[in-house]
Amino acid sequence: MTGAPAARPLLEVDGISVAFGAVQALQRVSMEVGRGEIVAIIGPNGAGKTSLINVVSGFYHPYEGRILFDGQNRTDFKPYDVAALGIARTFQNVALFKGMTVLDNIMTGRLLKMRGSFVLDALYWGPAKRQELAHRAFVEKIIDFLEIQAIRKTVAARLPYGLQKRVELARALAAEPALLLLDEPMAGMNIEEKEDMCRFILDVHDEFGTTIALVEHDMSVVMDVSDRVVVLDYGRKIAEGTPDEVRKDPAVIDAYLGVPHE
Amino acid sequence: MGILHAVLVAPFVDIASNPRFLAEVLIGGVASGLMYSLVALGFVLIFKASGVFNFAQGVMVLFAALNLVGLMDLGVPVPVALVLTMAIMVALAFAIERVVLRPLVNQEHIILFMATIGLNFFLEGFGEMIWGANVKKLDVGIPDRSFITAGIQMNQLELIAAVTAGILVAVLAVFFQRTRIGRALRAVADDHEAALSIGIPLKTIWVVVWSVAGLVAIVAGIMWGAKSGVQFSLSLIALKALPVLILGGFTSVPGAIVGGLIIGVGEKIGEVYWGPLVGGAIENWFAYVVALAFLLFRPQGLYGERIIERV
Repeated sequence: MTGAPAARPLLEVDGISVAFGAVQALQRVSMEVGRGEIVAIIGPNGAGKTSLINVVSGFYHPYEGRILFDGQNRTDFKPYDVAALGIARTFQNVALFKGMTVLDNIMTGRLLKMRGSFVLDALYWGPAKRQELAHRAFVEKIIDFLEIQAIRKTVAARLPYGLQKRVELARALAAEPALLLLDEPMAGMNIEEKEDMCRFILDVHDEFGTTIALVEHDMSVVMDVSDRVVVLDYGRKIAEGTPDEVRKDPAVIDAYLGVPHE
Repeated sequence: MGILHAVLVAPFVDIASNPRFLAEVLIGGVASGLMYSLVALGFVLIFKASGVFNFAQGVMVLFAALNLVGLMDLGVPVPVALVLTMAIMVALAFAIERVVLRPLVNQEHIILFMATIGLNFFLEGFGEMIWGANVKKLDVGIPDRSFITAGIQMNQLELIAAVTAGILVAVLAVFFQRTRIGRALRAVADDHEAALSIGIPLKTIWVVVWSVAGLVAIVAGIMWGAKSGVQFSLSLIALKALPVLILGGFTSVPGAIVGGLIIGVGEKIGEVYWGPLVGGAIENWFAYVVALAFLLFRPQGLYGERIIERV
C-alpha cells in the first residue's frame, strides 16, 4: 500500500464559498493539506481563516465547492461526522468542558474510540473496565507529553488561559486524529507560552505523525513551524507557498504585513 | 420563658415520649420526600445535559399521567397503556428536540429557559384538549393500604414509591458517572460546540435525555396520580421540587434525593411537633424557608458543582 494512494493529499478544499447574508466570508478558496504536513493559514483579521476551519470541521457548509478528505467527498458532513472521520480541532476562544477536571476533559476526547454496552459500562466490569483502563493509559501518555501532569485533577475553569489552550490540544490529541485543526493556538498567550505551544505542535507532529492545519494571526510564529503557508485576505486566497516564498510575495506584503517603513 | 420552653423543650419531650409515633412521622417524611425527589430528578437530568432549567417538567408529569389515565379510560389494559405512554413521552422528546431545541443550539440558557415556558403552556393546553380538564382517578393496581408492622403504621403506596425512587436514582447515578453516554451528557451540558467537535451528536443526546426525563415523569405521574388524582394541580408539584433542587444542587442526581429527604422529613417533623405552636400549616412553607437559607449560605446546593467566577 505504498505509492499511489499516498500521493493524494489528505485534505482537499476545492473552490469553496461561504456567505453570511451579504458578507462573503470565503470566495472560491482552494487548498490542500498533504499527509504529514504542517500547513498554516494566515491573513489579517476578518480574512476568513476561522471560517475556513469551520467549513473543514463541518460547522459551516459552503454554498459551492467541495471538500475531500482522504479522497472522499464530505462537504455536507456534520461536525460529529467529521470528528468520526478523524479530524479533531481546537477553538479560537478555548471550548473546554469547564466544569470537568482536566482528566475528564481529555477522556471525553476518546469518546469516539470507546465501544461497549450501557450495562457493562455501568457495572464497570470485564471488558468495560479493561477498556476504560486502556483509554486512561493513552490519556496519561498525552498528559505526560504535554507536561500537564500537575493539573490533571484541576477543574478546567480554574486554569490560566495558556494552560486551558494546552488542555484543549490534549483533548484533540486524545482522539488520535489523522488531521488536527488548530484555530489560533497561540492567541492571547505571552511569549513563553507561545514558545511552549510551538514546541508542542512540532513534538506532536514528530511523535504521532499528525497532519496539522493551523490558523494563526502571528506571522513570526507561523514561519517557524509550518511547511507551507496559505494566505487569505477578504475571503480570497492571495498566496501559497513555503514560508520564505510567502514572506517575499508582494501581494502578501501589501495585504498582510503592510508596506515596510524604512 | 414559656415560649422558649414550648419551642425548645416541649417538642423534644413529645418526640422522646413516643418513639413509635416518631418513626411513623419519619417514614411519612421519607416517603413524601422521595416523591418530591422523583419530580426533582427530571429537572436534574435535563439541567445536567443541557444546562437548561426545564420549566415544563411539572407539566410533563401531568401530561404523562393524563395520557396514562386517558388510555386506561379507553379500556386499554394497564401494561399496554404504560408502554404507549412511554412511546408518547419518547415521541415528545423527539418533537421537542426538532421543534424547540435544534433551532436554538448555542443560544443563551435564558432563551432555552423561555422556550420551556412556552412548552409548559403548550403541553398543558394540549393535554387537556385531548383528555379533558376534569379530575381523574389513576389506579394502575398499586396497592394503597395501610398496615401495621412492629407497632408502626405504614402505607403500601408510600413504600413502593420509596423503593421505586431509590432504584431509579441508583440507576441514573451510575448512568451519569460511569457510562460513556453519561460523560457525553456532561460534556454537552458544558459546551455545545466543543461537544460537537469531539464527535458527540447533540441531537441524539438531547433526545436521549428528554426521553429519560419523560420516563421519570411517568413514574412521578403514576405515584402522584395514585396519591392525589390526576388533575391540573399535579403540575404544581414542580414548585415543591424547586426547593429540593436548591438544596441538593441542580446538577446532582443523588442531591435530588438527599434534598427531597431533608425537605420531606423536615416538613413532616416541623408540622407535627412545632405546627401546633403557630397554628399549623408549616408543611406549606417549610421547604421554601430552607431553600432560602441555602441560597444565602451555599447557593450551589449540597452536591452541586461549585460556581466559579473569574473576576
